[in-house]
Amino acid sequence: MLRTSIAQGPAPTVYLAGEMDLDCADTLREAVTEAARGAQMVALDFANVEFIDSSGTGIFVRLALDLKSQGTPLVARNLSPAVRGVFDMLRVRELVGEEVFPD
Amino acid sequence: MADQTSAMPASLQVYRYRAGADHVEAVIGELEPELPQEDLVAHASEALRRETFMCYAVSQPDDFVADELCFVPQGDRCEILSIRTNGWERHHGDHRRSLVEILNNLAAAVACGKLRILDLGELAAGQEEGHPVGEFAISDTADLQRARESVDDVLKQAGIDDIHRQRTILCISEAVTNMLLHGGGHGDMVVRRLPDRLRFVVADEGPGLSFLNWIEPPSKGGQASMGYGYKIILDYLDAVALHTGPGGTTLLLDRMTN
Repeated sequence: MLRTSIAQGPAPTVYLAGEMDLDCADTLREAVTEAARGAQMVALDFANVEFIDSSGTGIFVRLALDLKSQGTPLVARNLSPAVRGVFDMLRVRELVGEEVFPD
Repeated sequence: MADQTSAMPASLQVYRYRAGADHVEAVIGELEPELPQEDLVAHASEALRRETFMCYAVSQPDDFVADELCFVPQGDRCEILSIRTNGWERHHGDHRRSLVEILNNLAAAVACGKLRILDLGELAAGQEEGHPVGEFAISDTADLQRARESVDDVLKQAGIDDIHRQRTILCISEAVTNMLLHGGGHGDMVVRRLPDRLRFVVADEGPGLSFLNWIEPPSKGGQASMGYGYKIILDYLDAVALHTGPGGTTLLLDRMTN
């Protein structure tokens, strides 16, 4: 199960914790949509994501591309080892753009 | 949530040639009367003689509905893999993989011994090896986490190290997700203990593997998989065996224990 919390501000951060799989789409989209309202950009913090699979990754990729097209860039920070391994394997940087990973 | 994309999916077709025979057998799919047996036997014999796997584009797709054939020698037999494209385009414009790339990846996995394509008899035998140590019904996305936790326990008990445990759990998640999205939405997983390995038997009664799930653009809600589940499974497990057809798909996913 994925849990989210939001630190509001002009550049809000959505903190993610738990597991990102097929089940997390609604939770992630709702949190990011709420955070993005009126914001210039949104950050996702992956430090406490213990598990992610290709479905969870696909949901993140779609969200990043959607936000980019809406003019509210999304950045990903503090990738946990589990997330980094799967993102590297699935070449996520190529899919969403290097700018999504400023760290 | 079965795949509703097409009544004519892009599906896996596998034949087998045994050295010295004058015909090929069907492993997955059917042997059509119009199948060019002589051509298949000639190419399979050549692949066996050269001991290398060879892929051919089919020049007249109207006559034969696959658009590429891969011949993979395996000792005294040659596996012949194709994807029946049923008119679907070979290439897709976005980052998703083309049918040809998918086919080549599967053929390469067979060639290096990572993937075995099973006929029904081999599948039945593989499902009976060892003894069962757990069984789980899968019917909902909430079962994903439960399945992962159960597998984690089994792997810990078997003394699997952290990295292989995490990779196995990822693969189980991918297999169960495929079942939920494309395999009719439900099925079961049986964990079996063999002398040298754990085997996770993931079975559904869905419409069979359709590669369109791997290349169609994701739905607006972003629910679609990226089509990389099988890549992860093939990369991260020690051995994978597969049977698929209109009666469903079964994966035998092996993690060595010693």
